[in-house]
Amino acid sequence: MGEKKNQWLLDRRAFLKATGAGMAGAAIGAFPFESFTLDEAMAVAAKADETAVPTLCAMCGPAANCGVYAFTKNGRFTKVAGMKESPANNGSLCPKGQASPQWVYSRERLKYPLKRVGKKGEGKFQKITWNEAIEIIADTLKRQKQKYGPESLGMLSPARRTYSEYLYRFLIAHGSPNYGHSGICVMQRAFAFMYTLGDWPRIVDYGKSDVILIWGRQPIYSGPAQEGVRAYVNAKARGAKIIAIKPTVEPDVGLADEWVPIRPGTDAALALAMLNVVVNENLIDKAFVEQWCYGYDQLKEHVQKYPPTWAEKITGIPSEQITEIARIYATTKQAGIDTGNGLEHTPSSNDAFRAIAILIAITGHLDRPGGNLLGPPLSKMPRPKSVHLTERYTQEWVDKLVYPEFPKPFQPFVEGTSSAYYGMLESVLTEKPYPMRTIIAPGSQALVSTRGSKRVVEALKKLEFYVVVDVARTADMPYADIVIPTSTPYEMDHPFEIRGNWIMARNRVIQPLGDYKSIYEFLCDLGVKMGYGADFWGGSMEASMNDQLKPLGMTIDELRKHPTGIKYEPVPRTYETYEKVFKRKSPRISGAPFLPQGKVAIYNTSFKEAGFPPLPEWKEPPESITGTPELTKKYPLILSDYHTSSVYTASWQRDVPYLREILPYPTVHIHPDTASERGIKNGDWVRIESPHGWIKVKAELYPGIRPDTVMVLHGWWQGCKELGFKDLPLLDGGANVNIMYSVDREKAFDPLVTAMASQTLVQVRKV
Amino acid sequence: MSTQYGFSFAKERCVQCFGCEVACKSWREGELGVRWRRVYNIWQGRYPKVKNLSASVSCMHCADPACAKACPEQAIQKRAEDGIVVVDRSKCTGCKTCLKACTFGAPQFGADGKMQKCDMCLNDSDLSKESPPCIETCPTKALQFGKMEQKEKITIEQDIQKLMAM
Repeated sequence: MGEKKNQWLLDRRAFLKATGAGMAGAAIGAFPFESFTLDEAMAVAAKADETAVPTLCAMCGPAANCGVYAFTKNGRFTKVAGMKESPANNGSLCPKGQASPQWVYSRERLKYPLKRVGKKGEGKFQKITWNEAIEIIADTLKRQKQKYGPESLGMLSPARRTYSEYLYRFLIAHGSPNYGHSGICVMQRAFAFMYTLGDWPRIVDYGKSDVILIWGRQPIYSGPAQEGVRAYVNAKARGAKIIAIKPTVEPDVGLADEWVPIRPGTDAALALAMLNVVVNENLIDKAFVEQWCYGYDQLKEHVQKYPPTWAEKITGIPSEQITEIARIYATTKQAGIDTGNGLEHTPSSNDAFRAIAILIAITGHLDRPGGNLLGPPLSKMPRPKSVHLTERYTQEWVDKLVYPEFPKPFQPFVEGTSSAYYGMLESVLTEKPYPMRTIIAPGSQALVSTRGSKRVVEALKKLEFYVVVDVARTADMPYADIVIPTSTPYEMDHPFEIRGNWIMARNRVIQPLGDYKSIYEFLCDLGVKMGYGADFWGGSMEASMNDQLKPLGMTIDELRKHPTGIKYEPVPRTYETYEKVFKRKSPRISGAPFLPQGKVAIYNTSFKEAGFPPLPEWKEPPESITGTPELTKKYPLILSDYHTSSVYTASWQRDVPYLREILPYPTVHIHPDTASERGIKNGDWVRIESPHGWIKVKAELYPGIRPDTVMVLHGWWQGCKELGFKDLPLLDGGANVNIMYSVDREKAFDPLVTAMASQTLVQVRKV
Repeated sequence: MSTQYGFSFAKERCVQCFGCEVACKSWREGELGVRWRRVYNIWQGRYPKVKNLSASVSCMHCADPACAKACPEQAIQKRAEDGIVVVDRSKCTGCKTCLKACTFGAPQFGADGKMQKCDMCLNDSDLSKESPPCIETCPTKALQFGKMEQKEKITIEQDIQKLMAM
C-alpha cells in the first residue's frame, strides 16, 4: 500500500540527507524535523484525501488555546497536529490534545436538549427541542426575577474559558452579581499578590534566573505544550538551580536540584519562617525596602513568632533546610518564585501568598532580571472591546452578593463580582442571606468540582431550578431540570482567541453531531428570549465578534483570512516599573488603588480597615497533625489531592479511551514504608477514611511522597465503556476526594479569600 | 547499511506528558490495550533524597535486533535500506518468543494475537511527514529522530536499557 507516498517521504529524507540536515543528536533548535506548518499540514492531508483545518485546541484550561491542525476525512474529525506557527505551543501538543477526536465522539456526548421528568437525582429525562429548552429557562428566570429579584440566579464558573465573559454579561444584563467562582483557583493567588504588590508577578524571568523556587506549582499537568514547560526545561539545561517545594515528587521535581517535601497546606508556615530568617539575618535589599515598602518595622517584630524551629514542627521540613532555602533565595541576585495552585487550597492561602509576595519584595527580587516580573508580556496589539459590562457595577450590586468570594470592600475583583462557588450552593440549604433559586452550571460539575459533595447533593435536591450546560454528561446531570447540550469548540467557528501577542479565529472542523449550538449561542438565544437582545448583539455571534474587534480595525471575516492568526510585534520588557504599577487602581467600585501608600503593602492597611489581620499569619487546616493532634490516633496520615494530571483535565476526560488507558484506576500515592506497615502491596484496593467520609482506590507505592502523607487525584466519577469501566459512586465508597474534607464555615475556609481546605487526616486500610 | 534511522531520547528534557504515547495511538489508530510507545517513570534513591527519571520507549529498531534472531518463523527483519525493524505479520504465529527476547518491551499483541510494534511510521500511507507524530508532538524535544551511525545507535540503546533497569 501507498508505495508512491512512501516514495515521496523517502525523497524528502534523501533531500534532508543531501543538505546535511537530519543528524540525530544535533543541537536542539537546529534539528530539522519540526512540526507542521500550514503548508505541510495541507500537503499531508491532501495525500490521504483529508482536510486540515487550522483551529485552537480545547482540551484543557483555563484558556489554554494551543494552535492545532484538525484533520478530517469524509466529514469526520480524525486526528490533530500541533501548529508550528502558534506561539502558544510552537507545534507541539500534549496527550489531551492528541486524543481530542475521541473526546468529540465520546459516547457521553449530549445530542439534544433534555427536560427532567422523574424525581431530582433519578436521571429520567424527555427529549425537547432547543427552542423549547430556551423558552422553559426564560419563563422560569422571568418569573423568579419578578418574585425573588434577579440576584436569585447564579452561575457556577467553569475553569476560566473565553465564554466566562459571556456568562458575566448574561448575569449583568439580568441583574445578578452571583458568579460562583471556584474559590480554589488563580483568583486567590491574584488577590493576595495584587493587594500586596499592586500586581500579580506571575511571570518568573526563567531565562535569566539562577535560582528558581517552584512552589506548589505543577507546570506539566496543565498546558505541557506551552511556554511554561519549555522555560522550565531550558532553565534547567542552562544550569539554573531549581528547588521544588511540594508534598510529592512529580515529573518536574525529577528535573529539580532539590526537593523540599512539605506537608500539604502548610506553605504559609514555611513562608513566614523564611521571612524570619531573611529579616533576622538582614538579607534584605535595604534601599528597595526604604524606598518602596510600607511597614517593614512591623514585619520585623511580627515574624519573631515564626522561627524555622517553629515551622519545622508544622511543615515537616527540617529547620536547617528552611534556613538554607531562605538564604539561597535571598542572597542569589537573580532568583524567582513560581507559585502554583497547590497553595490555594487551604485556610491560610492568602497568608502564604502575602508572605511570599513580601519575601520577593524585601529581598529585591521584584521586577528585576531573573526575578518575578510585574505585568504580562506586552505587544502592539490593540485590546479588543470587552464583552463584560463592567461599567454597570454599583455598590448596591456588590451588596447583593449571596456569599462574597472576597469581602465586599474588595469587590469587584479583576474578573468581576463573585460569590464563592460552594457558598452559593450552600445558600440553597441555609437560605442565608437568601437562597439561590436557579443555578446554571456551564462546563462545571458541582458534585466533583467543589468540596463537600454530601452537602452539594442536598443543595441540588432542594434547588428550585438547575440547568446543566455541557458538551457531555456530567456528574450532576441527574439533578438537572433542563440539560442544554453544546458544541465542542471543534464544532463551531467562534469565538476568536487571544494569547499574548497572537490572535486567531477559531474555525469549524466538523458540523455539530446533534440538535445543539455553542454555549455562546445558548447565551445569545437566552438573552434575546429574556428581552436582553440589545446586550446580545441581536443573537448574532458574528456581530459580537465584529463589535469586539473594532479596536483592531478588522472584522472576523478579515481575521479569518489569516489561517494561522496574526502575531503583533512584542514590546520589549522594562524592569523596575514600580512607579507605574504601585499606583495601579483596583477594580473596586471606589477605584481606590491596590496599594494605598503607593508602596508594597507589607503592613496592609486595606485589610486592617476591613477587619482582617494587617500582616500574614498562620492558620491550621481544619484537620492536621499539629492543629488537631487528638485525631491522629484514629487518623494518622495527612490526605490531600492533585488537582489535575498529565492525562486528565480536572474532573473530565475519564471517558476518553486513549487517556484512560494510561491512568485507568483512581489511585492513592502512598510511601512504600507506610504501605508495608499496613500490609498494603502495589495495586491493592484500599479504603481511605477521614472524619467526613471514605473512598476506595488502588494503592500505588510511591517512593516520592512524605511517609506521613497520602495523595489522590481529584475528579474521579466517570466510567469508560470502551474499556469496561463503570461510573464510580459520587459519595462514600467511590473515589470522589471532595467528600473527605471539612466544609466547616469557621475552619475550612480562608477568612479573606474563601479558599477551601483540601487537607484532612485519614487512615488507610487494605480492603 | 547505507542508512539507519533511530530514535534518541534526552531524559533530562522529558516531563512525562505522555504526548508521544497518545500521538502514536491517535495517528496510527492504535488498538486499545496495545502500546507501541510507552512513557515510564523510574524511581531513584530513597526518601527524602528521591528522584524520578523518565523514559519514552518504543521499538528501538536495534542495530542488532534480538527479536529478529529469536523469531522461529523469521518474521522479523531489519531492513537494509533504512534500518527499520519490520514484522511480516503473515508469518507471525503469535508465539511471543520475540517479547521474551526484547529488553525494551516493544512487541505488542492485540486482538489478533500477532506481534505488532512501532514501524517508525514509514510504512503508513497516511503519514507523509519527515518524522513520526511522537517526535513532532514532543513539547521539549526530549524525543528525537534521525539518521545515525551504528556506534551512536548502540549507545542510545544501551542508555535506554540502563535507564529501564534502574
